[in-house]
Amino acid sequence: MTLAVGSNLLADLLSGPRPAEWADLREEAEARLTERDLPTSSDEDWKYTDLKALAGMSFGPAPKVTVDISGHLLPEMVGTRQVFVNGHHAPHASCASAVPAGVRYFPMSHASEACHALGSIGNGAAKGLFEDLNTARFEDGAVILVPKNLKVALPLHLLFITKAEAPIAVFPRILVLLERGAELELVEEHLGEGPYLSCPVVEVHVAEGAVLRHERVQRESAEAYHLSTLKAEVGKGGQYHSRTLSFGARLSRQQPWVHLAEGAEASLDGLALLDGAQVADTHSFLHHAEPGASSHQLHKCIVDGKARAIFNGQIMVAKGAQGTDAQQQSRNLLLSETARVDTKPQLEIYADDVKCSHGAAVGQLDPEELFYLQSRGMNADDARNLLTYGFAADVLTHIPVASLRRALRQLVMARTQATSLGDLG
Amino acid sequence: MLSIKNLTASINGTPVLKGIDLELKAGEIHAIMGPNGSGKSTLGKVLVGHPAYEVTGGEVLYEGRNLFELEPDARARAGIFMGFQHPIEVPGVSNAAFLRLAYNKKAEAEGRDELDPLEFDDFIHEKIKLVAMKEEFLDRSLNEGFSGGEKKRNEILQMAVLEPKLAILDELDSGLDIDALRVLGDAVNKLQRPDRALLIITHFPRILEIIEPQFVHVLSGGRILKSAGKELAIELEERGYDWVLEEAAAGSQR
Ligand SMILES: Nc1ncnc2c1ncn2[C@@H]1O[C@H](COP(=O)(O)OP(=O)(O)OP(=O)(O)O)[C@@H](O)[C@H]1O
Ligand SMILES: [Mg+2]
Repeated sequence: MTLAVGSNLLADLLSGPRPAEWADLREEAEARLTERDLPTSSDEDWKYTDLKALAGMSFGPAPKVTVDISGHLLPEMVGTRQVFVNGHHAPHASCASAVPAGVRYFPMSHASEACHALGSIGNGAAKGLFEDLNTARFEDGAVILVPKNLKVALPLHLLFITKAEAPIAVFPRILVLLERGAELELVEEHLGEGPYLSCPVVEVHVAEGAVLRHERVQRESAEAYHLSTLKAEVGKGGQYHSRTLSFGARLSRQQPWVHLAEGAEASLDGLALLDGAQVADTHSFLHHAEPGASSHQLHKCIVDGKARAIFNGQIMVAKGAQGTDAQQQSRNLLLSETARVDTKPQLEIYADDVKCSHGAAVGQLDPEELFYLQSRGMNADDARNLLTYGFAADVLTHIPVASLRRALRQLVMARTQATSLGDLG
Repeated sequence: MLSIKNLTASINGTPVLKGIDLELKAGEIHAIMGPNGSGKSTLGKVLVGHPAYEVTGGEVLYEGRNLFELEPDARARAGIFMGFQHPIEVPGVSNAAFLRLAYNKKAEAEGRDELDPLEFDDFIHEKIKLVAMKEEFLDRSLNEGFSGGEKKRNEILQMAVLEPKLAILDELDSGLDIDALRVLGDAVNKLQRPDRALLIITHFPRILEIIEPQFVHVLSGGRILKSAGKELAIELEERGYDWVLEEAAAGSQR
């Protein structure tokens, strides 16, 4: 039965006109989609993440609307922002005047099809269903190209806002290409109001010796579905550092796929703050394809109410990838008896000289930490709230954009009942 | 100030303190020495209300009140402080924010004005000078990744911020280099007042040459076997603990 409903959803999403550009890519994606269906819980990869409610929805076209973005601007990035509303580029809300010369930074709709890298990142991996859906139907998105050895001083801000009265589907698309030795800090933010489905796809290529720092903020509406795919290829000695912060959406899924060449470095940190009936799922895949690469993954979830967090962290160390260093930690805090966490590390190691470690912890606050704070005069409630805040804020400590770090700390304080404790900056 | 009478306590059902009697008056400095595992840290933690320990008998009066009626946080706000042998790390909570919170909770309890972040900034800068701590430690997460000695320095910084009436310092000297011991010992001395009392737990007389106690107690097997003046610390350093144990055994046989 689910199957039929699923088919309807896919057909529904694909029923609109196919955008003209990138016709080949879109055709291929559509062709694959005709043979697929929405995953169900019998699909191992979707065992705990139930899409039944999504399957029963139908989505209308995304209207062009205007939104007030003043509350979402961050001082470091006022002149480096591209804003997309309901999938469409919003030129009046965007401003890229502070972006240094040489950096190409424009909406996907302005990119020529000669932008042939699109759709080619991570071609070694299978295309996901939601990735293909995005490719078939994305309207717009951002292209970022940083030339050789250019170190971009200001962070860039991509803001995807969705405002829906009746259900709509949006397909944000991002392509980031860093040439050799380039450096960039990118903030990708998703937020919205009302019922909608957002399926972003981010493609990243970090060339030899280049460095990308990528902050990913998911603050979708409480009725939203957010199903995100990231594919990153990191060249020799390159670095890709990402931090994914999931606060919103009734159901969200993060599917990062990272491929590391020789001596590359990656960090793939995550934080999910969940309550009510929220579901947040992270299925990550880190591929140590060549020797001497290192990866570091810290994934934290705070789960309250009847919410549910899922973490599946796959790390593959290829044959011959000697000297690999891969560290993975999944740490989870359960704040209620009905909250639930399913965490599973999945290490596949085909090389022999490697340093790999993983750990998973699911539990309550540490009584020794609680006592330590109480012994300094904080009552039990304050101590609990402060520790809960600290558990989450730990992931935010190294966010380089100060205003973003502050804003997210405020958000975390509000969500952990720590606001009454005053400024914890 | 503090009056301990026949205190017994156990952990996981195992008795650790087996009848402690101790009187601390305002202005006094007491030292507790004794073999590993004899119950020194336990005594301190029982006094500050660590939940893992069960008080099974006896009584403790703090400023005339039954100490065990107070929750650990209330004891802290009432002026009791313990500098721990192994301070806990708290990721994600900045040291500065934590210190300000702790200060303000106590100020609130005492009806004094709370300090806003700017005022606290000035206040804490005086305090970090006292313990010669580098400023960057304020922005780091509480104790996270601090070395053993740095954690001890941070304990004394907390003491300087809270200005307790009764401070229990558990092996402040372990993990400290010679200079740090001097600096922190001096800091503790500066914080000592006629209306405050100190209980120093240590294995070594060196710290007691800086923070000079009037009384030295030997705690062994959960009991105080001997109490004397500060010269006892030197004697213990030279002779070890066996003679105290023998003396006590002989005494109890008589
Ligand atoms: N959490 C615990 N579980 C079980 N036993 C404990 C626990 N804490 C303390 N003990 C036991 O209680 C006894 C007293 O420990 P305590 O830490 O008070 O010793 P101490 O005198 O401070 O020793 P040291 O000089 O080594 O610091 C020891 O035998 C110790 O093993
Ligand atoms: Mg001890």
